[in-house]
Amino acid sequence: MVTVSRRIDEAPEIYTLELGAKNEGKSGQFYMLSVQGVGEAPISVASGFGRNLVFTIRSIGSVTSRAMKEGRIGVRGPYGSNWPWKEYDEIVAVAGGIGIPPIRSLIEEMIDANREGDVELMYGARSPSDIVYKKEINEWMKTVDVHLTVDRGDERWNGKVGFVPTLLKDSHFSKNAAMFVIGPPLMMKNTVKEAVSLGYREDRIFISLERRMECGIGVCGHCNVGHRYACEEGPIFNYSEVMTEPELFL
Amino acid sequence: MNYILSKEEMERVFAAISVDFESYGAVEKEGEVVFDRVHSLAEVSENRSRYAPKEFLIRRNENVLYLEEQQRKAVFGIKSCDLKGFYLMDKQVLNRDPFYTERRNKTLFVNFVCNAPCEGGFCSSFGGPVLDEFDIQVLREGNNYHVMASDKYDKYFSGYRNDDGSYFSDFNRKFNTEMPPLEVDGLENRIKWNSPIWKEFASRCISCGACNYSCPTCYCFDLYDDGDERKREWDSCILSGFTSSSAGNIRSGLDERLRQRFYHKFVYFKKSKDEFLCTGCNRCVEDCPVGIDIKEVITHDYSLE
Repeated sequence: MVTVSRRIDEAPEIYTLELGAKNEGKSGQFYMLSVQGVGEAPISVASGFGRNLVFTIRSIGSVTSRAMKEGRIGVRGPYGSNWPWKEYDEIVAVAGGIGIPPIRSLIEEMIDANREGDVELMYGARSPSDIVYKKEINEWMKTVDVHLTVDRGDERWNGKVGFVPTLLKDSHFSKNAAMFVIGPPLMMKNTVKEAVSLGYREDRIFISLERRMECGIGVCGHCNVGHRYACEEGPIFNYSEVMTEPELFL
Repeated sequence: MNYILSKEEMERVFAAISVDFESYGAVEKEGEVVFDRVHSLAEVSENRSRYAPKEFLIRRNENVLYLEEQQRKAVFGIKSCDLKGFYLMDKQVLNRDPFYTERRNKTLFVNFVCNAPCEGGFCSSFGGPVLDEFDIQVLREGNNYHVMASDKYDKYFSGYRNDDGSYFSDFNRKFNTEMPPLEVDGLENRIKWNSPIWKEFASRCISCGACNYSCPTCYCFDLYDDGDERKREWDSCILSGFTSSSAGNIRSGLDERLRQRFYHKFVYFKKSKDEFLCTGCNRCVEDCPVGIDIKEVITHDYSLE
């Protein structure tokens, strides 16, 4: 059990928990968070390796709704694969909606490695009020190339309006850049499609797949993507290795 | 090493094993064969147990917050099809799942090779009843017992008469002609994602999950909290919530879930472990209330679809 040191309301139904423990996971990996008597849920880590543990959670199920009210929560992990950012010179990080926490973790790790100039953030939310990490994004903007869009604007929004894939053509990197994609299934599907048509290489696109991970150690059987278990070989997959799986996107 | 023992000698081996292990065996009880404590080999039934003895290694339901040190157990009379299920599960579960691993390492299985094919069984399709991997493998011939002992348990047979093991291979060959194997070679490439067979099965399936429960190779489980306990419980990929997550349900259709079950057995496991995740025991067919037959998945002609 780990103490919750801070809770931040990010957006409707979305909150962030900062915990009194270090993150031993790498960006893209996940932990199983639990509330005693309610259950466990797989949640991606939102902070960089070695920083304090941070999770950003949408209250949608029993565990994720209850975790918001707890002073202490159970944490086991980290599990799964991570974003392979160290292997690439340039990275286009594309996030949709509540998919952004593992990208925050990525950006923090790249900042800590003095490589924030090698990452571009493309982030879209449904509306301006659904944008998560407003404070962090303002901070990142000083050194990181950030592109934002919303599906529907409001009277105070003077940024871009449109779906996430429309941001891709604004990248200043070459088409040899690696692309990391995470978000709702339809957003990922359309982003990957657009990326490939723009000339990005399929084997340099990495996607994060959400499945019903229950055990995290490759034995409970709930999270398979074809013959692979997402908790073991994923959640971060090289797109070229899974692109022919018929159950890839919902 | 291979041995041939008389009935009396086998009883002595049983007694020696029972000094080191808590002995269990298949026994006839109220018209059913179940596993229970046994105190002599004579008590052990040669008939197949009503349920696969999966519970020796994966409990139907248990608290996973604590892993207690397990008793060393010897299980006599497990059938080859059921034992093979554990060897297949090992490839995914052993050394990942601490509960399974603790029990697996402390359990000795003495498998009894069937003397004749059973009705509906198709173990010959996956090699037949004589296994390549075993702890102690036993095949009775009249009042004599042919025995194959693995290195780990060979000590229980020192001093008994050696045998060249040809009886096992000859027997397996004869058995497999009496139970003609189904054509499983290449099934992983032959089977079709969009075959109408999945919808046809779905039109009958009532999502009861009996096929998973009865299967000696199905290892999936669910985790949930129950008061102060965190429990794992056998799960079924046929149930609608199996893959539901906050992103949605990747297999909301029953036909999709049935396809998953057979793809896991004949495509995914073959790809990842180079084995089919089926032993030909036929339990899922016997326990299915609507007559879905896994053998149809193997024999179905996909070429016209």
